[in-house]
Amino acid sequence: MSAALPVPVIQLLQVLTVALGAPGVTGVIAKVEARLQGRRGPRVLQPYYDLAKLFHKEALAPEGASWFFLAAPVIAVAAYLTIPLLIPVLTTYGLPLGYMGDILGGGFLLSLASFVVATAALETGDPYAQLGSSRAKTFSAIAEPVVLFVVFTVALLTGTDLPYALAATVRSSAGQVIRPAHLLASAALFMVILHETGRIPVETHAGTNEFGMIEEARAFEHSGPFFALLKWGSELKQLILYTILADVFLAPWGLASTRQLGAVILAVAALLAKACAVGCVVAVIDDSFAKLRLFKITEYVSAAFLIAVLGVFTLYLGGG
Amino acid sequence: MSLASAVQAAPGVYEGVANVIAAVMLLIEFGMLRQALARDQIRLYMAQSALLSVLAIVIAADRNLPDLYALAGLSAALKVVAVPLVMRRLLGRIDPDIADEAPGVAGSQTLSPASAVLAGIVLAAFGFFCFGTLKIQGQVGGHGANGAPALALALAAAMVLVSFGLMIVRRDVASQAIGFFTLENAISLAALVVASALPLILETAFLFDLLVAVVVFGMLIRTHHARAESLSTADLTRLRG
Repeated sequence: MSAALPVPVIQLLQVLTVALGAPGVTGVIAKVEARLQGRRGPRVLQPYYDLAKLFHKEALAPEGASWFFLAAPVIAVAAYLTIPLLIPVLTTYGLPLGYMGDILGGGFLLSLASFVVATAALETGDPYAQLGSSRAKTFSAIAEPVVLFVVFTVALLTGTDLPYALAATVRSSAGQVIRPAHLLASAALFMVILHETGRIPVETHAGTNEFGMIEEARAFEHSGPFFALLKWGSELKQLILYTILADVFLAPWGLASTRQLGAVILAVAALLAKACAVGCVVAVIDDSFAKLRLFKITEYVSAAFLIAVLGVFTLYLGGG
Repeated sequence: MSLASAVQAAPGVYEGVANVIAAVMLLIEFGMLRQALARDQIRLYMAQSALLSVLAIVIAADRNLPDLYALAGLSAALKVVAVPLVMRRLLGRIDPDIADEAPGVAGSQTLSPASAVLAGIVLAAFGFFCFGTLKIQGQVGGHGANGAPALALALAAAMVLVSFGLMIVRRDVASQAIGFFTLENAISLAALVVASALPLILETAFLFDLLVAVVVFGMLIRTHHARAESLSTADLTRLRG
Protein backbone atom coordinates (compact mmCIF):
# COMPACT_ATOMS: atom_id res chain seq x y z
CA MET A 1 0.00 0.00 0.00
CA SER A 2 1.05 3.53 0.59
CA ALA A 3 4.37 4.69 1.94
CA ALA A 4 5.35 4.32 5.56
CA LEU A 5 5.28 7.55 7.53
CA PRO A 6 8.29 8.60 9.59
CA VAL A 7 7.69 8.09 13.31
CA PRO A 8 7.98 11.79 14.31
CA VAL A 9 5.25 12.63 11.82
CA ILE A 10 2.94 10.09 13.43
CA GLN A 11 3.74 11.53 16.83
CA LEU A 12 2.92 15.01 15.56
CA LEU A 13 -0.29 13.64 14.05
CA GLN A 14 -1.35 12.34 17.48
CA VAL A 15 -1.17 15.87 18.84
CA LEU A 16 -2.84 17.40 15.80
CA THR A 17 -5.68 14.87 15.86
CA VAL A 18 -6.48 15.73 19.46
CA ALA A 19 -5.94 19.47 18.96
CA LEU A 20 -8.13 19.77 15.88
CA GLY A 21 -10.63 17.04 16.74
CA ALA A 22 -11.52 18.24 20.22
CA PRO A 23 -13.88 21.10 19.27
CA GLY A 24 -15.57 18.81 16.73
CA VAL A 25 -16.25 16.15 19.37
CA THR A 26 -17.68 18.85 21.64
CA GLY A 27 -19.88 19.97 18.76
CA VAL A 28 -21.17 16.45 18.15
CA ILE A 29 -22.00 16.02 21.85
CA ALA A 30 -23.81 19.37 21.95
CA LYS A 31 -25.81 18.35 18.87
CA VAL A 32 -26.76 14.94 20.31
CA GLU A 33 -27.68 16.53 23.61
CA ALA A 34 -29.91 19.07 21.88
CA ARG A 35 -31.64 16.36 19.82
CA LEU A 36 -32.30 14.38 23.01
CA GLN A 37 -33.93 17.45 24.51
CA GLY A 38 -36.04 17.95 21.40
CA ARG A 39 -34.11 20.99 20.22
CA ARG A 40 -32.42 21.32 16.86
CA GLY A 41 -29.16 22.38 18.46
CA PRO A 42 -26.14 24.26 17.19
CA ARG A 43 -24.13 23.22 14.14
CA VAL A 44 -21.57 20.52 14.76
CA LEU A 45 -18.89 22.98 13.64
CA GLN A 46 -20.10 25.69 16.00
CA PRO A 47 -17.22 25.27 18.53
CA TYR A 48 -14.73 26.01 15.71
CA TYR A 49 -16.61 29.21 14.81
CA ASP A 50 -16.69 30.20 18.47
CA LEU A 51 -12.96 29.74 18.81
CA ALA A 52 -12.27 31.62 15.56
CA LYS A 53 -14.46 34.49 16.73
CA LEU A 54 -12.79 34.71 20.13
CA PHE A 55 -9.31 34.63 18.63
CA HIS A 56 -10.16 37.80 16.70
CA LYS A 57 -11.34 39.71 19.74
CA GLU A 58 -9.50 42.07 21.99
CA ALA A 59 -7.91 40.66 25.18
CA LEU A 60 -8.47 42.50 28.44
CA ALA A 61 -7.07 41.81 31.88
CA PRO A 62 -8.40 43.05 35.23
CA GLU A 63 -6.46 45.87 36.83
CA GLY A 64 -3.75 44.58 39.14
CA ALA A 65 -3.54 41.12 37.58
CA SER A 66 0.04 40.05 36.96
CA TRP A 67 1.57 38.48 33.85
CA PHE A 68 0.54 35.07 35.16
CA PHE A 69 -3.10 35.85 34.43
CA LEU A 70 -2.31 35.91 30.70
CA ALA A 71 0.30 33.16 30.79
CA ALA A 72 -1.98 30.62 32.48
CA PRO A 73 -4.19 29.74 29.47
CA VAL A 74 -1.10 29.25 27.33
CA ILE A 75 0.55 26.98 29.91
CA ALA A 76 -2.70 25.02 30.31
CA VAL A 77 -3.08 24.37 26.59
CA ALA A 78 0.60 23.46 26.34
CA ALA A 79 0.11 20.89 29.13
CA TYR A 80 -2.98 19.47 27.41
CA LEU A 81 -1.15 19.21 24.09
CA THR A 82 1.74 17.32 25.72
CA ILE A 83 -0.50 14.51 26.99
CA PRO A 84 -1.29 13.08 23.51
CA LEU A 85 2.42 12.35 23.20
CA LEU A 86 2.17 9.98 26.16
CA ILE A 87 -0.98 7.98 25.47
CA PRO A 88 -1.91 5.68 22.59
CA VAL A 89 -3.95 8.00 20.38
CA LEU A 90 -3.24 6.48 16.97
CA THR A 91 -0.75 3.65 17.35
CA THR A 92 -0.49 0.36 19.20
CA TYR A 93 3.30 0.67 19.42
CA GLY A 94 5.01 3.19 21.63
CA LEU A 95 6.31 6.27 19.85
CA PRO A 96 9.74 7.73 20.76
CA LEU A 97 8.36 10.30 23.21
CA GLY A 98 5.62 7.95 24.41
CA TYR A 99 7.68 6.62 27.29
CA MET A 100 8.82 9.94 28.72
CA GLY A 101 5.89 9.83 31.11
CA ASP A 102 3.53 7.16 32.46
CA ILE A 103 -0.09 7.43 33.61
CA LEU A 104 1.05 9.45 36.62
CA GLY A 105 2.96 11.79 34.30
CA GLY A 106 -0.24 12.38 32.33
CA GLY A 107 -2.10 12.92 35.58
CA PHE A 108 0.46 15.49 36.70
CA LEU A 109 0.06 17.39 33.44
CA LEU A 110 -3.73 17.43 33.81
CA SER A 111 -3.36 18.69 37.39
CA LEU A 112 -0.79 21.30 36.32
CA ALA A 113 -3.17 22.69 33.73
CA SER A 114 -6.02 22.84 36.22
CA PHE A 115 -3.70 24.41 38.83
CA VAL A 116 -2.50 27.27 36.61
CA VAL A 117 -6.07 28.07 35.57
CA ALA A 118 -7.14 28.14 39.22
CA THR A 119 -4.18 30.38 40.10
CA ALA A 120 -5.07 32.74 37.26
CA ALA A 121 -8.61 32.90 38.66
CA LEU A 122 -7.14 33.95 42.00
CA GLU A 123 -5.19 36.70 40.24
CA THR A 124 -8.39 38.36 39.05
CA GLY A 125 -9.76 39.13 42.50
CA ASP A 126 -13.21 38.25 41.17
CA PRO A 127 -15.01 36.32 43.95
CA TYR A 128 -17.00 34.29 41.45
CA ALA A 129 -13.94 33.02 39.58
CA GLN A 130 -12.28 32.27 42.89
CA LEU A 131 -15.31 30.37 44.11
CA GLY A 132 -15.28 28.30 40.94
CA SER A 133 -11.59 27.47 41.17
CA SER A 134 -11.79 26.64 44.85
CA ARG A 135 -14.69 24.28 44.22
CA ALA A 136 -12.99 22.71 41.24
CA LYS A 137 -9.86 22.05 43.29
CA THR A 138 -11.84 20.61 46.21
CA PHE A 139 -13.84 18.27 44.03
CA SER A 140 -10.90 17.02 42.05
CA ALA A 141 -9.15 16.32 45.36
CA ILE A 142 -12.16 14.24 46.41
CA ALA A 143 -11.99 12.28 43.15
CA GLU A 144 -8.24 11.71 43.44
CA PRO A 145 -8.39 8.45 45.49
CA VAL A 146 -10.54 6.90 42.77
CA VAL A 147 -7.94 7.75 40.14
CA LEU A 148 -5.22 6.33 42.35
CA PHE A 149 -7.02 3.02 42.74
CA VAL A 150 -7.61 2.85 38.99
CA VAL A 151 -3.84 3.32 38.53
CA PHE A 152 -3.21 0.58 41.11
CA THR A 153 -5.45 -1.76 39.13
CA VAL A 154 -3.53 -0.98 35.95
CA ALA A 155 -0.27 -1.58 37.76
CA LEU A 156 -1.44 -4.94 39.12
CA LEU A 157 -2.79 -6.00 35.73
CA THR A 158 0.29 -5.15 33.71
CA GLY A 159 3.16 -4.79 36.15
CA THR A 160 3.81 -1.29 34.76
CA ASP A 161 1.88 1.94 34.70
CA LEU A 162 2.29 2.66 31.03
CA PRO A 163 -0.91 3.27 29.08
CA TYR A 164 0.51 1.40 26.07
CA ALA A 165 1.05 -1.71 28.21
CA LEU A 166 -2.54 -1.76 29.46
CA ALA A 167 -3.93 -1.31 25.95
CA ALA A 168 -1.78 -4.22 24.76
CA THR A 169 -2.92 -6.37 27.71
CA VAL A 170 -6.57 -5.68 26.99
CA ARG A 171 -6.08 -6.53 23.32
CA SER A 172 -4.31 -9.79 24.11
CA SER A 173 -7.33 -11.98 24.95
CA ALA A 174 -11.05 -12.05 25.63
CA GLY A 175 -10.30 -13.16 29.18
CA GLN A 176 -8.54 -9.86 29.81
CA VAL A 177 -11.58 -7.90 28.67
CA ILE A 178 -14.07 -9.81 30.79
CA ARG A 179 -12.02 -9.96 34.00
CA PRO A 180 -13.77 -8.06 36.81
CA ALA A 181 -10.75 -5.93 37.69
CA HIS A 182 -10.62 -4.46 34.21
CA LEU A 183 -14.35 -3.83 34.00
CA LEU A 184 -14.51 -2.31 37.50
CA ALA A 185 -11.53 -0.04 36.85
CA SER A 186 -13.04 1.09 33.54
CA ALA A 187 -16.37 1.81 35.22
CA ALA A 188 -14.70 3.81 37.97
CA LEU A 189 -12.65 5.77 35.45
CA PHE A 190 -15.79 6.50 33.45
CA MET A 191 -17.47 7.87 36.56
CA VAL A 192 -14.45 10.08 37.24
CA ILE A 193 -14.51 11.32 33.65
CA LEU A 194 -18.20 12.21 33.93
CA HIS A 195 -17.30 14.14 37.05
CA GLU A 196 -14.17 15.79 35.65
CA THR A 197 -15.78 16.94 32.40
CA GLY A 198 -18.53 18.60 34.36
CA ARG A 199 -21.50 16.37 33.47
CA ILE A 200 -22.64 14.46 36.52
CA PRO A 201 -23.35 14.87 39.42
CA VAL A 202 -23.58 18.60 40.10
CA GLU A 203 -22.32 20.68 37.21
CA THR A 204 -24.04 21.97 34.12
CA HIS A 205 -21.16 22.08 31.73
CA ALA A 206 -22.51 24.54 29.21
CA GLY A 207 -24.99 26.40 31.32
CA THR A 208 -25.24 29.91 32.57
CA ASN A 209 -26.85 28.71 35.77
CA GLU A 210 -24.49 30.09 38.38
CA PHE A 211 -24.81 27.25 40.86
CA GLY A 212 -24.04 24.67 38.24
CA MET A 213 -20.95 26.37 36.88
CA ILE A 214 -17.73 25.23 38.46
CA GLU A 215 -15.19 24.76 35.71
CA GLU A 216 -16.86 27.44 33.63
CA ALA A 217 -16.70 29.98 36.40
CA ARG A 218 -12.93 29.94 36.48
CA ALA A 219 -12.63 31.59 33.08
CA PHE A 220 -14.96 34.44 33.99
CA GLU A 221 -12.44 37.26 33.74
CA HIS A 222 -10.58 36.05 30.68
CA SER A 223 -11.45 37.43 27.29
CA GLY A 224 -10.51 37.27 23.64
CA PRO A 225 -7.78 34.83 22.59
CA PHE A 226 -7.05 33.87 26.19
CA PHE A 227 -10.67 32.91 26.81
CA ALA A 228 -10.54 30.98 23.53
CA LEU A 229 -7.50 29.09 24.80
CA LEU A 230 -9.32 28.19 28.03
CA LYS A 231 -12.37 26.98 26.12
CA TRP A 232 -10.19 25.02 23.76
CA GLY A 233 -8.33 23.65 26.77
CA SER A 234 -11.46 22.22 28.34
CA GLU A 235 -12.41 20.68 24.98
CA LEU A 236 -8.92 19.18 24.76
CA LYS A 237 -9.19 17.81 28.29
CA GLN A 238 -12.49 16.17 27.42
CA LEU A 239 -11.13 14.50 24.29
CA ILE A 240 -7.96 13.39 26.11
CA LEU A 241 -10.00 11.77 28.88
CA TYR A 242 -12.25 10.08 26.31
CA THR A 243 -9.17 8.85 24.46
CA ILE A 244 -7.75 7.37 27.63
CA LEU A 245 -11.06 5.63 28.33
CA ALA A 246 -11.52 4.32 24.79
CA ASP A 247 -7.98 3.63 23.61
CA VAL A 248 -6.49 2.40 26.86
CA PHE A 249 -9.36 0.81 28.76
CA LEU A 250 -12.54 0.00 26.87
CA ALA A 251 -11.77 -0.45 23.19
CA PRO A 252 -8.10 -0.33 22.24
CA TRP A 253 -8.95 -1.66 18.79
CA GLY A 254 -8.70 0.17 15.49
CA LEU A 255 -5.31 1.67 16.28
CA ALA A 256 -2.59 1.57 13.65
CA SER A 257 -0.14 -1.26 14.19
CA THR A 258 2.09 -0.24 11.26
CA ARG A 259 3.43 3.04 9.98
CA GLN A 260 1.42 2.87 6.73
CA LEU A 261 -0.38 6.07 5.80
CA GLY A 262 -3.67 4.22 5.27
CA ALA A 263 -3.55 2.57 8.69
CA VAL A 264 -2.82 5.90 10.38
CA ILE A 265 -5.68 7.67 8.59
CA LEU A 266 -7.97 4.82 9.59
CA ALA A 267 -6.79 5.20 13.19
CA VAL A 268 -7.62 8.93 13.15
CA ALA A 269 -11.14 8.14 11.94
CA ALA A 270 -11.50 5.33 14.51
CA LEU A 271 -10.38 7.58 17.35
CA LEU A 272 -12.83 10.33 16.46
CA ALA A 273 -15.63 7.79 16.01
CA LYS A 274 -14.88 6.22 19.39
CA ALA A 275 -14.72 9.61 21.09
CA CYS A 276 -18.08 10.57 19.56
CA ALA A 277 -19.56 7.24 20.70
CA VAL A 278 -18.35 7.85 24.26
CA GLY A 279 -19.71 11.40 23.96
CA CYS A 280 -23.14 10.10 22.91
CA VAL A 281 -23.27 7.81 25.93
CA VAL A 282 -22.24 10.74 28.12
CA ALA A 283 -24.93 12.94 26.59
CA VAL A 284 -27.60 10.29 27.21
CA ILE A 285 -26.47 9.93 30.83
CA ASP A 286 -26.29 13.69 31.26
CA ASP A 287 -29.84 14.09 29.98
CA SER A 288 -31.37 11.22 31.91
CA PHE A 289 -30.22 12.01 35.45
CA ALA A 290 -31.11 14.97 37.61
CA LYS A 291 -28.24 17.00 38.98
CA LEU A 292 -27.52 16.43 42.65
CA ARG A 293 -27.17 19.08 45.28
CA LEU A 294 -23.62 20.23 45.82
CA PHE A 295 -22.96 18.45 49.10
CA LYS A 296 -24.20 15.15 47.67
CA ILE A 297 -21.07 14.97 45.57
CA THR A 298 -19.44 12.72 48.16
CA GLU A 299 -22.13 10.11 47.55
CA TYR A 300 -21.29 9.98 43.87
CA VAL A 301 -17.55 9.88 44.47
CA SER A 302 -17.91 7.24 47.17
CA ALA A 303 -19.70 5.01 44.65
CA ALA A 304 -16.83 5.45 42.18
CA PHE A 305 -14.35 4.80 44.98
CA LEU A 306 -16.17 1.60 45.94
CA ILE A 307 -15.96 0.33 42.36
CA ALA A 308 -12.26 1.17 42.06
CA VAL A 309 -11.41 -0.43 45.42
CA LEU A 310 -13.31 -3.60 44.50
CA GLY A 311 -11.29 -3.72 41.28
CA VAL A 312 -8.06 -3.82 43.28
CA PHE A 313 -9.51 -6.37 45.73
CA THR A 314 -10.51 -8.79 43.01
CA LEU A 315 -6.94 -8.91 41.74
CA TYR A 316 -5.58 -10.08 45.05
CA LEU A 317 -7.19 -13.50 44.88
CA GLY A 318 -5.80 -14.29 41.48
CA GLY A 319 -9.12 -14.64 39.71
CA GLY A 320 -9.76 -10.97 39.07
CA MET B 1 -1.32 -13.29 47.32
CA SER B 2 1.79 -11.78 45.96
CA LEU B 3 1.82 -9.19 43.26
CA ALA B 4 3.53 -11.58 40.89
CA SER B 5 0.61 -14.00 40.87
CA ALA B 6 -1.82 -11.21 40.15
CA VAL B 7 0.05 -10.12 37.05
CA GLN B 8 -0.40 -13.53 35.48
CA ALA B 9 -2.75 -14.26 32.62
CA ALA B 10 -6.46 -13.71 33.05
CA PRO B 11 -8.73 -16.62 33.98
CA GLY B 12 -10.94 -18.18 31.36
CA VAL B 13 -13.95 -16.41 29.90
CA TYR B 14 -16.52 -18.46 31.80
CA GLU B 15 -14.80 -17.89 35.09
CA GLY B 16 -14.40 -14.23 34.20
CA VAL B 17 -18.14 -13.94 33.56
CA ALA B 18 -18.91 -15.72 36.84
CA ASN B 19 -16.58 -13.38 38.72
CA VAL B 20 -18.05 -10.29 37.07
CA ILE B 21 -21.57 -11.41 37.99
CA ALA B 22 -20.49 -11.98 41.58
CA ALA B 23 -18.85 -8.53 41.65
CA VAL B 24 -21.98 -6.86 40.26
CA MET B 25 -24.09 -8.67 42.87
CA LEU B 26 -21.84 -7.21 45.55
CA LEU B 27 -22.19 -3.76 43.99
CA ILE B 28 -25.98 -4.13 44.08
CA GLU B 29 -25.69 -4.99 47.75
CA PHE B 30 -23.86 -1.69 48.22
CA GLY B 31 -26.56 0.02 46.17
CA MET B 32 -29.09 -1.10 48.79
CA LEU B 33 -27.08 0.71 51.45
CA ARG B 34 -27.71 3.94 49.57
CA GLN B 35 -31.35 3.50 48.54
CA ALA B 36 -33.75 5.35 50.78
CA LEU B 37 -37.05 3.82 49.65
CA ALA B 38 -38.27 0.28 50.18
CA ARG B 39 -39.56 -0.03 46.60
CA ASP B 40 -36.09 0.75 45.23
CA GLN B 41 -34.58 -1.84 47.52
CA ILE B 42 -37.06 -4.43 46.30
CA ARG B 43 -36.12 -3.52 42.73
CA LEU B 44 -32.43 -3.99 43.51
CA TYR B 45 -33.22 -7.30 45.19
CA MET B 46 -34.96 -8.43 41.99
CA ALA B 47 -31.92 -7.46 39.92
CA GLN B 48 -29.58 -9.26 42.27
CA SER B 49 -31.69 -12.41 42.23
CA ALA B 50 -31.91 -12.30 38.45
CA LEU B 51 -28.11 -12.13 38.27
CA LEU B 52 -27.90 -15.14 40.55
CA SER B 53 -30.06 -17.10 38.11
CA VAL B 54 -27.87 -15.97 35.22
CA LEU B 55 -24.83 -17.15 37.15
CA ALA B 56 -26.48 -20.53 37.70
CA ILE B 57 -27.03 -20.79 33.93
CA VAL B 58 -23.41 -19.82 33.21
CA ILE B 59 -22.11 -22.44 35.63
CA ALA B 60 -24.52 -25.03 34.26
CA ALA B 61 -23.26 -24.41 30.73
CA ASP B 62 -19.63 -24.34 31.80
CA ARG B 63 -19.58 -27.44 33.98
CA ASN B 64 -22.28 -29.35 32.15
CA LEU B 65 -24.70 -29.67 35.06
CA PRO B 66 -28.22 -29.77 33.58
CA ASP B 67 -30.07 -29.69 36.91
CA LEU B 68 -28.67 -26.21 37.54
CA TYR B 69 -30.91 -24.96 34.71
CA ALA B 70 -33.91 -26.16 36.71
CA LEU B 71 -32.53 -24.46 39.79
CA ALA B 72 -32.01 -21.22 37.86
CA GLY B 73 -35.62 -21.29 36.68
CA LEU B 74 -36.99 -22.11 40.12
CA SER B 75 -34.86 -19.48 41.81
CA ALA B 76 -35.91 -16.85 39.27
CA ALA B 77 -39.58 -17.70 39.71
CA LEU B 78 -39.26 -17.44 43.45
CA LYS B 79 -36.86 -14.56 43.99
CA VAL B 80 -37.46 -12.37 40.95
CA VAL B 81 -41.24 -12.78 40.86
CA ALA B 82 -42.79 -14.23 44.00
CA VAL B 83 -40.84 -12.69 46.89
CA PRO B 84 -40.84 -9.11 45.51
CA LEU B 85 -44.56 -9.47 44.77
CA VAL B 86 -45.29 -10.60 48.31
CA MET B 87 -43.16 -7.82 49.79
CA ARG B 88 -44.82 -5.18 47.64
CA ARG B 89 -48.32 -6.34 48.51
CA LEU B 90 -47.38 -6.50 52.16
CA LEU B 91 -45.98 -2.97 52.19
CA GLY B 92 -48.84 -1.73 50.03
CA ARG B 93 -51.47 -3.18 52.36
CA ILE B 94 -49.88 -1.66 55.42
CA ASP B 95 -50.77 1.83 54.39
CA PRO B 96 -53.09 2.05 51.39
CA ASP B 97 -53.20 5.85 51.66
CA ILE B 98 -49.58 6.17 50.73
CA ALA B 99 -49.74 4.06 47.62
CA ASP B 100 -46.04 3.51 47.12
CA GLU B 101 -44.09 3.94 50.25
CA ALA B 102 -44.60 2.46 53.69
CA PRO B 103 -44.08 4.79 56.68
CA GLY B 104 -40.83 4.72 58.59
CA VAL B 105 -38.66 3.36 55.79
CA ALA B 106 -37.35 6.53 54.21
CA GLY B 107 -34.83 8.27 56.41
CA SER B 108 -34.15 5.24 58.57
CA GLN B 109 -30.42 5.33 57.82
CA THR B 110 -28.21 5.82 60.83
CA LEU B 111 -25.21 6.73 58.66
CA SER B 112 -25.00 9.08 55.70
CA PRO B 113 -24.79 7.20 52.40
CA ALA B 114 -21.12 8.04 51.85
CA SER B 115 -20.14 6.88 55.36
CA ALA B 116 -22.28 3.77 54.99
CA VAL B 117 -20.46 2.91 51.77
CA LEU B 118 -17.06 3.46 53.40
CA ALA B 119 -18.06 1.28 56.37
CA GLY B 120 -19.32 -1.30 53.86
CA ILE B 121 -15.96 -1.24 52.07
CA VAL B 122 -14.22 -2.03 55.36
CA LEU B 123 -16.64 -4.91 56.04
CA ALA B 124 -16.27 -6.23 52.51
CA ALA B 125 -12.48 -6.06 52.74
CA PHE B 126 -12.57 -8.03 55.98
CA GLY B 127 -14.77 -10.77 54.53
CA PHE B 128 -12.87 -10.76 51.29
CA PHE B 129 -9.41 -11.21 52.70
CA CYS B 130 -10.50 -13.65 55.42
CA PHE B 131 -11.88 -15.98 52.79
CA GLY B 132 -8.93 -15.31 50.56
CA THR B 133 -6.53 -16.65 53.15
CA LEU B 134 -8.58 -19.82 53.60
CA LYS B 135 -7.51 -20.90 50.08
CA ILE B 136 -10.66 -22.92 49.54
CA GLN B 137 -10.47 -24.78 46.27
CA GLY B 138 -13.57 -25.45 44.26
CA GLN B 139 -14.87 -28.81 43.26
CA VAL B 140 -12.38 -30.82 41.36
CA GLY B 141 -14.76 -32.93 39.33
CA GLY B 142 -15.50 -31.81 35.82
CA HIS B 143 -13.48 -28.67 35.75
CA GLY B 144 -9.98 -29.47 36.81
CA ALA B 145 -7.70 -26.84 38.22
CA ASN B 146 -9.74 -24.10 36.63
CA GLY B 147 -12.67 -24.66 38.95
CA ALA B 148 -11.14 -22.76 41.84
CA PRO B 149 -13.69 -20.05 42.48
CA ALA B 150 -11.65 -18.31 45.17
CA LEU B 151 -12.66 -14.88 43.93
CA ALA B 152 -16.40 -15.46 43.62
CA LEU B 153 -16.43 -17.19 46.99
CA ALA B 154 -14.64 -14.26 48.63
CA LEU B 155 -17.08 -11.87 46.98
CA ALA B 156 -19.93 -13.93 48.44
CA ALA B 157 -18.34 -13.65 51.88
CA ALA B 158 -18.07 -9.89 51.44
CA MET B 159 -21.74 -9.83 50.43
CA VAL B 160 -22.75 -11.69 53.58
CA LEU B 161 -20.99 -9.12 55.76
CA VAL B 162 -22.33 -6.14 53.81
CA SER B 163 -25.87 -7.49 54.10
CA PHE B 164 -25.36 -7.73 57.86
CA GLY B 165 -24.16 -4.14 57.68
CA LEU B 166 -27.30 -3.21 55.78
CA MET B 167 -29.47 -4.71 58.52
CA ILE B 168 -27.47 -2.83 61.14
CA VAL B 169 -27.41 0.65 59.62
CA ARG B 170 -31.12 0.68 58.71
CA ARG B 171 -33.70 1.19 61.43
CA ASP B 172 -36.78 -0.15 59.71
CA VAL B 173 -38.27 -3.62 59.44
CA ALA B 174 -38.65 -3.61 55.66
CA SER B 175 -34.97 -2.89 54.92
CA GLN B 176 -33.95 -5.44 57.50
CA ALA B 177 -36.12 -8.05 55.81
CA ILE B 178 -34.59 -7.20 52.43
CA GLY B 179 -31.14 -7.37 54.00
CA PHE B 180 -31.96 -10.84 55.28
CA PHE B 181 -33.16 -11.97 51.84
CA THR B 182 -29.96 -10.72 50.23
CA LEU B 183 -28.04 -12.64 52.86
CA GLU B 184 -29.72 -15.72 51.44
CA ASN B 185 -28.67 -14.59 47.94
CA ALA B 186 -25.07 -14.34 49.09
CA ILE B 187 -25.17 -17.83 50.57
CA SER B 188 -26.71 -19.21 47.38
CA LEU B 189 -23.89 -17.56 45.44
CA ALA B 190 -21.32 -19.22 47.67
CA ALA B 191 -23.08 -22.57 47.31
CA LEU B 192 -23.20 -22.20 43.52
CA VAL B 193 -19.51 -21.47 43.07
CA VAL B 194 -18.15 -23.92 45.64
CA ALA B 195 -20.55 -26.82 45.39
CA SER B 196 -22.35 -26.44 42.09
CA ALA B 197 -22.86 -30.19 41.91
CA LEU B 198 -24.93 -30.16 45.09
CA PRO B 199 -28.03 -32.34 44.63
CA LEU B 200 -31.00 -30.35 43.35
CA ILE B 201 -33.14 -31.39 46.29
CA LEU B 202 -30.78 -29.66 48.72
CA GLU B 203 -30.64 -26.46 46.70
CA THR B 204 -34.41 -26.45 46.50
CA ALA B 205 -34.61 -26.92 50.25
CA PHE B 206 -32.58 -23.71 50.67
CA LEU B 207 -35.09 -21.92 48.49
CA PHE B 208 -37.94 -23.09 50.69
CA ASP B 209 -36.04 -21.83 53.70
CA LEU B 210 -36.31 -18.46 52.04
CA LEU B 211 -40.08 -18.88 51.75
CA VAL B 212 -40.28 -19.57 55.47
CA ALA B 213 -38.21 -16.44 56.11
CA VAL B 214 -40.57 -14.41 53.94
CA VAL B 215 -43.57 -15.62 55.91
CA VAL B 216 -41.85 -14.92 59.23
CA PHE B 217 -40.74 -11.46 58.18
CA GLY B 218 -44.18 -10.76 56.76
CA MET B 219 -45.75 -11.51 60.13
CA LEU B 220 -43.06 -9.48 61.87
CA ILE B 221 -43.68 -6.48 59.64
CA ARG B 222 -47.45 -6.63 60.14
CA THR B 223 -47.23 -7.12 63.90
CA HIS B 224 -44.70 -4.35 64.29
CA HIS B 225 -46.79 -2.00 62.20
CA ALA B 226 -49.92 -2.84 64.17
CA ARG B 227 -48.15 -1.94 67.42
CA ALA B 228 -46.01 1.00 66.38
CA GLU B 229 -47.94 2.45 63.41
CA SER B 230 -44.64 2.65 61.58
CA LEU B 231 -42.03 0.32 60.18
CA SER B 232 -39.27 2.13 61.99
CA THR B 233 -37.65 0.17 64.80
CA ALA B 234 -36.58 3.35 66.60
CA ASP B 235 -39.54 2.96 68.97
CA LEU B 236 -38.38 -0.45 70.10
CA THR B 237 -35.58 1.03 72.17
CA ARG B 238 -38.19 2.31 74.62
CA LEU B 239 -39.63 -1.12 75.36
CA ARG B 240 -37.03 -2.04 77.95
CA GLY B 241 -37.97 -3.05 81.50
